Amino acid sequence: MDRTLTNFIRSLRNAEVRISTAETLDAFGAVELVGYKDREFLKNSLSLVLPKTEDEKATFENCFDQFFSFDDVSADQSDGLDGSAEGDAEGEEGDGNGEGGSAGGERQPGQTSGKKKSKSKAKSLSLLEEEEEEDLGQGEMTQPSSALGQLLMANSKVDLTMAMAAAGEAVDVREIQIFTQKGLYSRRIMDQMGLTELNYEIGDLRQANSIPARRLGQELRRRRDWLREQTRDYVEKQFILNADVSGKRLREELLRKVKLSNVEHRNFRMIQEIVYKMAKRLATMHSRRKKVYKRGLLNVPRTLRHNMAYDGAIFDLHWKSVKIDRPKVFAICDVSGSVANYARFMLMFLYSLEEVMPKVRSFAFSSDLAEVTELFDRNKIEDAIAKVLRDYGGGSTDYGQAFIDFRKICLDDVDNRTTIIILGDARNNYGEAHTEVLKEMYDRCKRLIWLNPESRLSWSTGDSEMRRYQAYSHQVDESNSLMHLERVVGNLLKQVT
Amino acid sequence: MADIEKIASSVDSLKLEFEGHRYICSDQIATAVYLAYHLRKPVLIEGPPGVGKTELAKTAAEMFELPLIRLQCYEGLDESKAIYEWKYGKQLLYTQVLKEALDEVLDGAKGFTQSVNRLHEFGDIFFSEEFLEPRPLLKALKEENGCVLLIDEVDKSDHEFESLLLEILSDFQVSIPEIGTIKATHEPPIVFLTSNNTREISDALKRRCLHLYIPFPDIDLEQRIIHARVPEIPEELRRQLVAFIHELRDLDLKKVPAISETIDWARTLLLLHAETLDPQLVRDTLNVILKFQEDIENVDGEIPSITAKIRK
Repeated sequence: MDRTLTNFIRSLRNAEVRISTAETLDAFGAVELVGYKDREFLKNSLSLVLPKTEDEKATFENCFDQFFSFDDVSADQSDGLDGSAEGDAEGEEGDGNGEGGSAGGERQPGQTSGKKKSKSKAKSLSLLEEEEEEDLGQGEMTQPSSALGQLLMANSKVDLTMAMAAAGEAVDVREIQIFTQKGLYSRRIMDQMGLTELNYEIGDLRQANSIPARRLGQELRRRRDWLREQTRDYVEKQFILNADVSGKRLREELLRKVKLSNVEHRNFRMIQEIVYKMAKRLATMHSRRKKVYKRGLLNVPRTLRHNMAYDGAIFDLHWKSVKIDRPKVFAICDVSGSVANYARFMLMFLYSLEEVMPKVRSFAFSSDLAEVTELFDRNKIEDAIAKVLRDYGGGSTDYGQAFIDFRKICLDDVDNRTTIIILGDARNNYGEAHTEVLKEMYDRCKRLIWLNPESRLSWSTGDSEMRRYQAYSHQVDESNSLMHLERVVGNLLKQVT
Repeated sequence: MADIEKIASSVDSLKLEFEGHRYICSDQIATAVYLAYHLRKPVLIEGPPGVGKTELAKTAAEMFELPLIRLQCYEGLDESKAIYEWKYGKQLLYTQVLKEALDEVLDGAKGFTQSVNRLHEFGDIFFSEEFLEPRPLLKALKEENGCVLLIDEVDKSDHEFESLLLEILSDFQVSIPEIGTIKATHEPPIVFLTSNNTREISDALKRRCLHLYIPFPDIDLEQRIIHARVPEIPEELRRQLVAFIHELRDLDLKKVPAISETIDWARTLLLLHAETLDPQLVRDTLNVILKFQEDIENVDGEIPSITAKIRK
């Protein structure tokens, strides 16, 4: 029982639902109370304990349905009958048995001789099964003797699922990585569950004289076929639960390190998610802080306590005033032709940052600069970025003009608690650099940070004004991957708050 | 006194009992209350505004016949307003009284050491429960027969306050430095926290709670809710108005109407003796369900087509 639950939690974690150990313990508590009997009840209960956001709940639903789905044996019986009547499953079966036997042999060298025997037995079995089904009608059956046979006849899908899960565990089905391994793993699981003994039994039963025994033989065969289907499904699910996602994680890890300009368009959405996560994490890390000031409301308890020493005469006053300190950030983003590849991601980052931090004002320019804060507020991320690129992007860069525009629009709002971030390559097309305006900004603000997507080596080559601008920045950094960006912004937020 | 054990014995009996108190709930909600009671865990309820998050806690209190203690959260809420505060005035008085009585206490004491010893022997009640002013959280812990504690809109409070809640939520106790730890009486409170998701609740808090997400109900459930809350409304009108609301929720609105708005609307229509929804009536009463002028203007043009659709 416990195994099933921990496995389920493991696949949830794989699907990026964050579950702590304490929550796992809670889940055990809930399962103890609820039991495995009522599927819907169990699902409702676990969905209260394990996933903790709306998105996670959706993921949970999927995972649960995949993990705990196991069709009813009795409900499937009619299907099973149809299948055996068509008789096309037989050939495949013999094949499966043979290979299953050899796979088993590989794992347990000590038992090779025994397995060989079973292999020949399996062959004779498949011959037998090609005979026409006798119509034995409904009626009494003998009891199966093999463990798997008993399990199959017990009609308990819960026990069967658990047996299958246990077998899966024994053959490490979780290690499945690529889809071509699916067949191999299904055979291994069937084998682990005791397919060989079951085949023996079926063979013996079908040759038996008494009608109830033959009837059991037929029934067992049908259920075995059904079990095979189930095992295939199970492995398929394990593949989806385990392999697919680690693939995604790998991809995400890669994307973080790869240069932004090289990222393909189709990964855009994923990058967006990463950026959002990152910005959110950064912002919650440094969001608020309180200060107690020497003015504001009288802090009565504190005052009284401090004045007890003076006979309770109110003498030494204490004030309270809560000040919530939020970082104030001005971000200026170059969206001109020379940084076209980066602009999209820079904007995306800006957008996410604005979503999670209350006081960011964003500006975009290629030659003329304009504020895009409101545009970001009103539009969804794709629209917003597209609009900014349409309205401001693509032109040739003029940093000088942009700084002059900035001075005109909002230099008055820049104070000693403001941080200015400039995202751009400083390639000014040999135009007037207007460093004096940058100096003015530099003097007024708390920090001015320049993030350049070009590598340090190419700074100050050609028309790049980086060297001159560098002098009026508190910090310059190369930032052309998300890792870079994350690090820089992390530092920034620490200093801002 | 209601038999809590019996009500909470199964999810179905909880559902029935909720229905008896005119709160129609889904399996998920009933399961949450069931687990909350049996596992002794707080429930964090999230969902869009107006889906009955606060109402759930209130109804639960009514149903279990327990007192409801409510703590409304806001920015700047701190422990002196939520957990406890010292009765400073009384403490001051006490120091005055003590000063007068000091001679008696020290009567006959010789030397400084002896005096200090005498003072130590003198019971110190300065920081004791008599001087403690319990605030909602502490009150909830001290309730003899248990209670329902509702911590409303916890997302409106500060991060620091969330951390304050952790102790009480996981162990049903608060630590007061001067006194020690105060534990819940034998019956710990049933705790509900609600959040509108204006900011992300910290993982530490989430970890300690069951997490219940209440979405907008489907048509059937909402009809039953309206039936329970406004039983006088004719069936046909009820069907139409719920269908209309569901159409609205599919539109791109600044604030989509919630259940509470549907109920208000049903009451309004009842008051106007309406029999069916016609465009003019909808237009006149639209401000009951939509709270932004922008939304009202957007929807205005759609009214005829929606009413035609739902009348079918």
